[in-house]
Amino acid sequence: MSNRVFHAVAGTISVLWLLPIVAVLITAVRSFDDIAANGLASLPRSFTLAGFADAWTNGGAGAMWNSVLVTVPTVFLSLALSSAAAYALSRFEIPGRRSVILLMLAGNLLPPQILLVPVSKLTELLGIYDTLIALIVVQVGFGLGFYTFVLQGFMRAMPNEVQEAATIDGAGPVQIFWRIVLPMTRPALAALAALAFTWIFNDLLWAITVLRSSSVMPVTPALLALQGQYVSNWNVIAAGSVIAAIPTVVVFLRFQRHFISGLAVGAVK
Amino acid sequence: MDRRHFLRVTAAAGAGLLVSGTASCATSASSGPVTQTAGTVSIQSNLSAPAAKAAIEALVKAFNDRKGSQASVNTVASETFRTQLPSYLTSANPPDLYTWYPGALLTGYEQKGLLLDVSDVWQTMGDYPQAFKTLSGKVFVPTTYYWWGFFYRKSNFARWGVTPPKTWTEFVELCKTLQGKGVIPLGMGAGSDSPWTASSWFDYFNIRVNGAPFHRELLAGKQRFDDPKVKAIFTPWREVLPFTDPNGTAIGFQEATTALLQGRTGMLLTGAFFADAAPKDALDDIDFFRFPIIDPKVPLAEEGPTDGFFASSKSPHVKELKEFLTFAATAEGQEIYIRNSSGTILPTHPNAKDSGTPLVQKGRQHLKEAAEITQFFNRDSSDALQPTADAR
Repeated sequence: MSNRVFHAVAGTISVLWLLPIVAVLITAVRSFDDIAANGLASLPRSFTLAGFADAWTNGGAGAMWNSVLVTVPTVFLSLALSSAAAYALSRFEIPGRRSVILLMLAGNLLPPQILLVPVSKLTELLGIYDTLIALIVVQVGFGLGFYTFVLQGFMRAMPNEVQEAATIDGAGPVQIFWRIVLPMTRPALAALAALAFTWIFNDLLWAITVLRSSSVMPVTPALLALQGQYVSNWNVIAAGSVIAAIPTVVVFLRFQRHFISGLAVGAVK
Repeated sequence: MDRRHFLRVTAAAGAGLLVSGTASCATSASSGPVTQTAGTVSIQSNLSAPAAKAAIEALVKAFNDRKGSQASVNTVASETFRTQLPSYLTSANPPDLYTWYPGALLTGYEQKGLLLDVSDVWQTMGDYPQAFKTLSGKVFVPTTYYWWGFFYRKSNFARWGVTPPKTWTEFVELCKTLQGKGVIPLGMGAGSDSPWTASSWFDYFNIRVNGAPFHRELLAGKQRFDDPKVKAIFTPWREVLPFTDPNGTAIGFQEATTALLQGRTGMLLTGAFFADAAPKDALDDIDFFRFPIIDPKVPLAEEGPTDGFFASSKSPHVKELKEFLTFAATAEGQEIYIRNSSGTILPTHPNAKDSGTPLVQKGRQHLKEAAEITQFFNRDSSDALQPTADAR
């Protein structure tokens, strides 16, 4: 009996949870005239894939490529830097390392909104405003603190004996990092990679802060640009959102296993 | 771990940073930092709606085909554009031209010295009515404008057996009749991201009761909002409030147009861009009438928001951008723009042809009859009023 109640409740919640996604999918295959005449909430009376083609040709293709150009180097770079930092902070007696970690954590608590103007001006001074490099630098900078914090928690949990054994076998710190610590950190790295990919791919704020040319805009501002000043083609926007969601969904499906185990291990060190 | 080891690790990390740093640079360099090509006028556009985007691209293409100076257009979301405009203008290397509208905001930028004086371009615009000149000052070149009114479906009005009203009494009667037929007389659409639709009601009541000069002064901050004259406009407003869509502040502008098209509401006070939100097969069925006269003694005023271009004072392409502005101000340029747009806009050049549909011709006449043209609540508002006026 209680089992049936559980299924009923859980089923209802799942349906409610999926409803917006279904609504977007349905809107994506309707025609603009159908939406304009019958409203967004009505049952679909048309079926067309023109919205997808529209979204793809209306800057969607270029924006997706830009997103990849930003996201992949950023994920790679931030994980490379933060795992090195985490290795140092977790495995070596560095004076003031607690303060360093706390400082990194504190940086995460700062709302990014208050840094918009300084960051925009800074990229201009550096001469990288309106380039993808600016976006990569900013994303790496803002992600680093959190990734380092998680990774050092994970690395601290590694048994000391492993490192001692490696040292006895003649491995230097770099070798230990490369051949022992990094391979053992893989679950956490995979989980963070999936998370970072989603965050960076879905970011809008930094993109519109350091970029202004539509040719370099990643996919989120490009989606926003599908909205008109007064009138928006909801079918095209919905189709564009579906396209934009595909990479993150793929990454998550691919890393799902690591994601759950990796985060759990990082949490209880 | 001793000190030497630690240093070695640090050095390794540093080298790693360097390597990955150059790697990332190489990747992004292929996509290319966007620098201005010498001599090309860059136009930052907020015309992100598909029809408007196509129109400005066609205008730029026609300009480039003349084999004179060259221009390139960069379209960003209107919302992004609105919030980023100050940083565009104050950046070291700003875009040359911007799509925008005249008003207090522009005057503010002008006073800060951010805008280029384009009086030279106005020398070529001798035929333009004085009203546009006064509105634009020295820094703005208007290209198109549009009108506001009560839009309705002809077939629905015929079905309900009603005709467009002329006076306020007739208007209230019409509302009563429609309500008697189970139709919500007045749509609103001030919900979600379009609370500005309600500003048009304030504008119209104020220009009908107190006249356009008072309205402009009020929004410019030279009159008080608690003036008895302002309070007076709420008397007629209260009269029609019971006929207004009870969901008026819940649903947005686009849903409100759907409600109108389906005949759930009778009419909607809105701008000519309304036609962009309607399906193509309904376009011939759409008509509008003037916001009814409340006090015949007040000179007739209408809302006629104007759009166009302004230039950054930091632009290194002054000659080229003026060439573009001059082209955009010609009848030829505006006809190209309108032909490629959705068509429900009017050219500012007095001799330029509009799209010629009955709706647009009526709109042109509608504004021609008005003694005074106001822009819109947010466009006429002073700096201090902007946060309220820009609420979305």
